[in-house]
Order: sequence, then structure tokens, then C-alpha cells
Amino acid sequence: MRRSLPDSESPSASRGSRVTRRSLLRLTAAGAVTIGAGAALAACGSSADPSGAPAGGGNPKRGGRLRVGLVGGSAKDTLNAHSPVNHPDQARIINLYEGLASFDENYQVRMALAESIEPNKEATEWTVRLRDGLEFHDGKTITADDVAFTFRRITDPKDPQAHAAALATLDRDAIKVMDERTVRLVFKEPYGELLDEIAELANGIVPEGYDPKKPVGSGPFKLQSFTPGEQSVFVRHPNYWREGEPYLDELVVIDMPEDTARVNALLGGQVDAIDQLPLGQIKVIQANPNLKVLESQTGGWLPFTMRVDRPPFDDVRVRQAFRLIVDREEMVRQVLAGHGTVGNDLYGRFDPNYARELPQRKQDIAQAKALLKQAGKENLTVELVTGPIATGVVEAAQVFAQQAKAAGVTVNVRKVPEGEFFGDNYLKWDFAQDFWITRNFLPQVANGTEPGAPYNETHWADKEFLELVREARRTLDPAKRAELVKAAQKIEYERGGYIIWGFPNQVDAHGTKIQGIISNKTGLPLNAYGFRKVWMA
Amino acid sequence: MYRLIFKRVLLGLVILWAVSVVVFLATQALPGDAARAILGRDATPERLAALQAQLHTGDPMLVQYGKWLAGTLTFDLGASLANGLPVGQYLAPRVSNSLVLMMIAAVIATPVALAVGAWSALRRDRAVDHATSLITLVLAALPEFVVGIILVLIFATGWLHVLPAVFAAGEGAVWQYPAQLVLPTLTLVLAVSPYIVRMMRAAMVEVLESEYVQQARLKGLPERTVIWRHAVPNAIGPVAQVIALQLAWLAGGVVVIEFLFRYPGIGLALMDAIGNRDLPVIQALSLLIAGLYIVVNLLADIIGLAANPKVRTAAR
Amino acid sequence: MTETATVPTPAPGTPATGAGRREGLLRAALRLRRTRAGLVLTALVLGVALLGPLLAPHSPTEFVAAPFSGPADGMPFGSDQLGRDVLSRFLHGGLTVLGLAAAATAIGVGFGALLGVVAGYRRGVLDEIVMRTGDVVLAFPQLVAALLFLSIIGPKLWLLVLVVGVSHVPRTARVVREATLKVVEQDFVKAAEAIGVRRAKIMAGELLPNVSSALAVELGLRLTYSIGLVAGLGFLGLGLQPPTADWGLMINENRIAVTVQAWAVALPVSAVALLTVGTNLITDGLARASIGIDRGVRS
Repeated sequence: MRRSLPDSESPSASRGSRVTRRSLLRLTAAGAVTIGAGAALAACGSSADPSGAPAGGGNPKRGGRLRVGLVGGSAKDTLNAHSPVNHPDQARIINLYEGLASFDENYQVRMALAESIEPNKEATEWTVRLRDGLEFHDGKTITADDVAFTFRRITDPKDPQAHAAALATLDRDAIKVMDERTVRLVFKEPYGELLDEIAELANGIVPEGYDPKKPVGSGPFKLQSFTPGEQSVFVRHPNYWREGEPYLDELVVIDMPEDTARVNALLGGQVDAIDQLPLGQIKVIQANPNLKVLESQTGGWLPFTMRVDRPPFDDVRVRQAFRLIVDREEMVRQVLAGHGTVGNDLYGRFDPNYARELPQRKQDIAQAKALLKQAGKENLTVELVTGPIATGVVEAAQVFAQQAKAAGVTVNVRKVPEGEFFGDNYLKWDFAQDFWITRNFLPQVANGTEPGAPYNETHWADKEFLELVREARRTLDPAKRAELVKAAQKIEYERGGYIIWGFPNQVDAHGTKIQGIISNKTGLPLNAYGFRKVWMA
Repeated sequence: MYRLIFKRVLLGLVILWAVSVVVFLATQALPGDAARAILGRDATPERLAALQAQLHTGDPMLVQYGKWLAGTLTFDLGASLANGLPVGQYLAPRVSNSLVLMMIAAVIATPVALAVGAWSALRRDRAVDHATSLITLVLAALPEFVVGIILVLIFATGWLHVLPAVFAAGEGAVWQYPAQLVLPTLTLVLAVSPYIVRMMRAAMVEVLESEYVQQARLKGLPERTVIWRHAVPNAIGPVAQVIALQLAWLAGGVVVIEFLFRYPGIGLALMDAIGNRDLPVIQALSLLIAGLYIVVNLLADIIGLAANPKVRTAAR
Repeated sequence: MTETATVPTPAPGTPATGAGRREGLLRAALRLRRTRAGLVLTALVLGVALLGPLLAPHSPTEFVAAPFSGPADGMPFGSDQLGRDVLSRFLHGGLTVLGLAAAATAIGVGFGALLGVVAGYRRGVLDEIVMRTGDVVLAFPQLVAALLFLSIIGPKLWLLVLVVGVSHVPRTARVVREATLKVVEQDFVKAAEAIGVRRAKIMAGELLPNVSSALAVELGLRLTYSIGLVAGLGFLGLGLQPPTADWGLMINENRIAVTVQAWAVALPVSAVALLTVGTNLITDGLARASIGIDRGVRS
């Protein structure tokens, strides 16, 4: 779920997995308890699957073998449907297992194995209706019992899986199989945004008695061979439910933690597609007529995090000054080589209620200096803790340090190894950085900006903000809810602890022969590893 | 002489033991709870307890060291913190990959360097000799990563595009990818050869001036026979120690080379482990590299003793 | 680097006053063409490192173009991974390598010479302790030792200087001890002892000057290796930290785009190469000169 690869200077297969595991947790750890009929709910009843249509030009052809080189991967690679660790793991489980619903390329929830998932009035009970005639890889019909088994497995207190925390309010004993194709999930509290959760990739449906060692799934591909840390081979699932898909006969996922190695493998034709193209290599790929760069706008962000409860950032004027110091255009230009979008100190950019009306913040050194003077913090010296935790993080720190000079602020960049960054002092650094992937506003708050959130790195506890958020979660009327969410964002915009300077694009690359890979807003590479739609021209 | 060798071996063992103390002190005896520092934010109580048990951090320092040493001696090196595999199992393929690289480099470098050195001696004070002398002096001065990057710039990315810049093999053994092995091997060869060349040249010059060779010439033996039968074998003896020393150097030299070329050996594993703060792997690799270094140096000593009559008789 | 010296080990000196002898060594070395070539190369790189910051067209941290841009007007070597001027960073990046290498060499050769002279003169238990401790340090390849400590304690500059310096100590101590052993037997030392000159004074006044040619060669050799090690650790990411302009770090940061923008790597690599070659040529010249002198004195 991590959008980026380890810094090139820090070699590691396994380090990638560490970041990813953490971000997976972060993606899901918050038991987001919210009520309401968001945009997601609108997708509920629809059984149509617009994303099923093949992308790319011409008519898809059957056959062929796709080899993809993916960042990360280590000896700890897994096929466990519910606890992926790194990028190759995610790619494997997305293609091995299918969930009840999933995010499409526009970050909208679409029904998958489920025909519908509908809440009761309080959003405490959700009724799942499966499609007809679904089959596992071994030919067994997918039934409501399998769905019940899957959710009990994920939330098993003895062996909790990645999304156990997010589903903490699921009443495991009250899960009720209504008939062959219908199951009711019962929650101890209202769970308005369940669909956002269900659509996460680590919630694939597995057969009763599932064992990751014999990974029988419901996805478009079934497993042929698997060598942890190296590669895995998949073949077409002939009874896959989507008409015509998958088009490929065979899929090979190869672990390639190293940037240079991955690019070289693509250039040398050892693989057909790679994720996480280093920005410095974009020109190399573009110069090659047989290769194509695949770029996707995402809602991922790389913030600077200021602790609002510790000096100097406990003074809101210092936070405001720091936000005014940043030249966002320059950040995107130098750090992302232009492959990204300027940010406005707000997250949740694809949220339908994103506060677009707030003016774009721009660099204003004079104002920043004035604010620092008012705060009595002229010629401030701060330490910025950074580390190779995601592409662009160390780079952004350096650009910020340079920009701050103009305002008389000395920023001492302290680069620590990833292990130390996420070590004892993680979430305690006064001034540091982090990375987040696409998420809507309220789920993001539950993850990072309220007391009790697992990653409240700015120690944010603004009473007014929290009141608005709580109110929004209780509010069912979409218009009223939008108003509350926007009001909360205004507070974040005015006095928050983040500096959100931009949203990096996801940049991947593939051969021109490969069709059906399109841009995807979720922040997952290669159209969220949607290889079922891929075909060879 | 055997007593001397015995003494050296004994000394080697003592040094190896001392090295284990240094490695232990450098890694584990740091202030604070090593387990907590390693796990960081993943420090759930269960994992903390498991790691503390693995590292024996609850015990007094001496007991910790004892347990660690006992584990090491029985090849029970613990589990990698990064991937959970037993360290031995994780490192075994990497050790063999590194050995393959070192072997290939040694097998190429030794005869080539000996030939160049001998040739240079035979052409003493001619242009060839001077050129060789200068080139080896330059190569000897260059840090090995500089040599590697220059080779990459020449053969892979900057000028000629004939060789891969990094090792990106898929499945199977490393030697199935000969093209990718070329640059790392060449870098190592260029790193170890200069010393051998210079020693061989010096030894050959001395031998060629010796009465022994003069006599062979006076006897009217063909020059070819003089060189191959008499001069070269006598020159190689003293050089043998230098060759062994160079091979010992490889144990440490591969680290940078593997990092540069992304070659999946012990060097890359060490750099990975450093990035991950994977203590058991760092400990095992430091010990392994130091051990290898000591053993080959010991061999070099013994060869030196055997080859050099002066040393053989000299008491120490 | 290797334990084998590239250069012939100079024989220890015969009685001479320190100053006069060193002057002779330098003059003799300067007669060799390689010494002069080495001096030119070293001076060239030193010039870049020392004067570079004054000549740089931009600040080393200022952004002048898109990342990894090719050469353009006002930017003859293009830009680096953050769009900073490669030339300016190159001109700023030499001081750190040189400073750290010089400091590490000073520590290593200084302590090494001290221990070597003391061990060689006092012999006995002290000698044994010093040399056996040295053996333990010698059991680690220099780079691995540095990696071990830097990775555990963190990439601190003082630590970098210390580990590189300490790794030189036993190597220098060995050479100096050997040289000392041969001087100790000479009459003038015995004479000094006989008239009751203090030991410390004998070591400083009689022994040290007479191992000075060995020491000079050792100094050059260790400096060459220090430069390689410091730059190498920077290349591995364990040397200087961003946003500092440093040759080793520059290579590390810009390696990923060596196909697109080779200059950002080629410039610092060439500088390190020229510098190490230069110092090694000087060292070789010194070594040859010292042999020549010794032969001359003997005959």
C-alpha cells in the first residue's frame, strides 16, 4: 500500500516489507466508526461493473504470458490472503483472491463477488448478497459460509489478520448466514463506511478451511509455483466470473527490490512491466519506443509533521509561518521532477467533500517572517528528522531546509536509517516527515489526526475540530455532513500540524505490447495490479 | 617450522575469539535495551519478549556473551530480524554467491597478473615495463568502487552499452548469467592484480639476476627453458604470500563491489542488514568476514614461511 | 584496501639528524618524475577542494533546474537529483573528503608511530600487548570494521574519523616497529642510553627522526587509503549526510540516474581517482627515494 520504494541508496529487499507492513496497518488499524451515506454508499446496490470493460485500444486477445518486476519482496513473502507484507504480496493476493468489493481506478467502491452490500438504517447490520455461480479455483461454489469464514478468520483474536483492528467492532458470533448466497455482518456500533473497508485488498474471500500453504482463491489467477523472495507463477482461472477475463494464460510476479535492477530488467526485456519507476529514469523509458511510462495521479501525500504540543510548534503562528515558507511549486518541481500535484495542507483530496473552496496557499516569506517575529521566534533553528522511508522524503527535507533559509529559519536535516525513524521515537519527533496513501477525509482522521488514532504524529487534539468530526460521523444527511467535514478541514487548513505540500504521482512503466493497464488513483501501482484486464497486443 | 605454524594457528584462534568479543561488544552491549531499539514501533510485548529471549538481554553481559558464543559455535546464529529465517539458512546462498564471485576473480587475476609481472620483468626498463609500472600504481591507488563506477560508465551506461550495469538475475545460480558477472569480476580483478603484478615483477627481476639463472644461460639452455623451467618457478614462491593476502582482501573488498553491482552476496546482505538494523545478520557477517580474513591471512603466513627460506630459519 | 604495500618498504635509516635527512628525502623524491606528477595531480585536486567554494557559480544547495537536467548555459555539468548545480556541488564537495581523510590519517599514523616506536624500543610485554591487540584490529578488513561501528552507533563524523584512523594504527605501528627495531641496535642509541638520556627523549630525539622515511611513506600510503575509505563510506551512505555537498555522497545520490546524467557521478569519481593516484605517486616517489638514499649512505 506504500506508494513508493525504498530510497535508492539504502538497499534492501526486506526493508521494503517493513514500511509496507506498517502502512498496511496504518491503512486499516483505525476502527473507523462512522455513520452516514457517503458517496461510497451510493455504489451499494449497483451490480453493474463498469470497470470490467477492457481498457486500451482494440479488442483484447486471449493468451500470453506477463512478467512483472515489483519493488520489495523478501524471504518473508507470503500468500496469506489477509496479511500481505510487501508490494509483491499485494500483487499476488489481488490476483489470487477476490473480495466482495474493490476500489476502481477512480477510487470508487465497486461490487465484486458481492452483488450488493446493504446496511440497515443504523448501519449496524450489513447484508451481503453474493453473485450467482461463483467458483473457487478448485471448482467449489463460493457460498455465504465462505464469506462468514473469511471475516471470522480476519478477526480471529488468536491470529488477527491485517484488517482485524479495522473490523474490531464486528460481532463475530453474530455473523449470520441467511441462505446459500446471503450473509449478514453485524457490528457492535454503527459502521457507516464499511464499504471503504470491505473494498481494501486484504479482505479477499477464501474457502472454509483455507490454508495459505494451499492457497485456493477466487481471483482471476491460480497459483502454479511460489518461491519466497524470488518469484511466483500463476495461471488463468478458467471459471473466473467476469466474462472473458483474465486474458492472459500466465502471470509471473518477480521480486525486484532494487531500482536500477528493475529498470534494467525492463530495458533488457527480462520483464514486461515494472512498478515504481525512479523519476530519474523516466527519460530513459520515454526514449525507448518499445516502452511506455504509466503515470497516475494519486491521493497519497508526503507531509512534514509538526508536533502541536511541543515548542516551537505549540505556537500556531510558527506552524502557520512554516506552511508559508514552503514553495509548493518548487517542491513538486525539484522533489517529484514535476510528477505530482501541489497540495494545500489538506488530505483526502479525492473525498467528495474535499474543501476545494479554500484558497491555494502560496509561499509568503514576508508574512512568515512577520508571524515568527510575533511569536518571538526569529532566527529559529529546528531539527528536521528524515529518513529513506519513501521516495522523495529525504529529498523534500533538503528542499525545505533550503527554502527555510529565506525566512531566516535554520533547518538542520537529520537523516536517520529507516529502522531508527520508525524506532523508539516514531510519533514522538517534534518535526519529521511521513507518507500516506489515498484515503477519504474521515477515515484519514481516524488514522492520523485525533487522539487515539494509531498514527497521530502531530499530536493533534483540537477540540473544535474533534467536535465537528464527531458530529459528521453521527450525521446521516449528506449535505449537512459535507458542511461539517468542510468546517473541520478549514480548521486543519488554519492551524493544523501538517505541511502537505503535494501529492506525488504513481509512476510505473511497461512495454507497449502490454494493453489494458490504465492510470489508477488508489496509489497502488500498475492499475492496482489489475492484471486480469491485461492482454498482449 | 611446524612449531611455528602451530603457533600461528593458535594465535589465529585467539584472534578469532577476540574478534567475537569485539563484534559482541559493538553490537549488543550498547546502552539501552537492544531488543527495543531493534523492534522500534513493532515492539509488541510478545515480539519484544521473543527477541529479548533470542538476544538474552535479560542476562548479565558475560552470560549473554557466553550464550551468544555458544550459539555461534554450534552454527545456531539465531533468526534474521528482517525476514525471520534462521541466519544460516538466509546467508548460505549468499555466501556461496560471494565465493563464486571471489573464485572467478581469483582464478582470472592470479595467472594474468603473474604473466604480466613476469613479462614486465623480462622487458625491464623498456616502455612496456614503465607502462605496466605506472598502470599498476594507478590501479593500486584507486578505491575499488571508483574502479567499478568507471567501468560502469565505460561499458554499461556512458559510452559503450555492451554490459549490464547491475546484477539482475532471476532464478537459478549466479553463473548462469555470465554477462552480468563480467563487470563485478573485472572490478575485483583490477583491484587485486596490481599488487601481484608488482611483486611478481620484483621477484622475477631478482631471480633473473641470480647466479642460478646466469648459469643456466651460460650452459646454453634456450631462453624459453631458462625462463619457464628456472626463473618463473623460483619467482612464484615469494609471490605466493602476496596472492594469498590479496585473496584475503577479497573477503572485505566484495562488500562495496556487491553493493555497487547489486550482486546478491554477503556484502549486499551486510548492507541490507545495516539498513534493517538486523543485528543477528550483522553479527554473523562481521564474524564470518573477519574469520575468512584471518584464515586466509594465516594461510598467507604459512605459505610465506614455507616459501621464504630466510623466514623459515628466522626465529620469532 | 590491501595490507600489501604498493611501495617498496624503505630500509631504516642510519644515524642522521631528522631535519637534514627529511630534506634529503624530499629532494631525492622530487627528482623522480612520478613524484612530480603526483604532486601536480594532488595540487590540482587540492586546489579544486580548497578554492572551489570560492569559484562555485551557485550555492551548493540552491535549485537551478529540473532534477537530472543535462548541461546547459550557466550549468556546464547539468543538475543533480534535486536540480542543484552539479559543478557548484562538486566544487564545494572536496573539503569534507580531504578534511576527514587528513584527520583520520593524522590519528592513525600519529598513534601508530607512537605505539610502533614504544613497542619497538621497549619490547617485552608491552610490545606483545600492542602487537597482539593490533592483530585483532587487523582481523577486520578496514571497511567492514568501519561499517560495523557506523551502522550500530550511527553515521557520525567523529566516529568515521575515529574508525578509519584506528584501523590504520596497527598497520602503521607494525611498519614503524620494524624500522625502530633496526635503529635500536645502532651505536648512537646505545650511547645515549649509556649517558642516561631519558627513554622518552631517546624515542623522540633519536628513534623517531631515524624512522622518518618509513613514516613519510606510511603517511602517504595511509592518506591514500583514508581518502578511498572516506569516499567509499560516503558512497555507501554512511559518511556525510544530506544536504551536504560531498563527493562520496554525490556519487551515492546520483548513481540512480547515471544513464541520464553521468556528470553528477563522473566529476566526483574523477576527483577521488585523481587524488588517490596523486598521493600514491608521491608515496611511491618517497619510497623509491628513501631506498636510494639508504643505498647511497651505505655504499
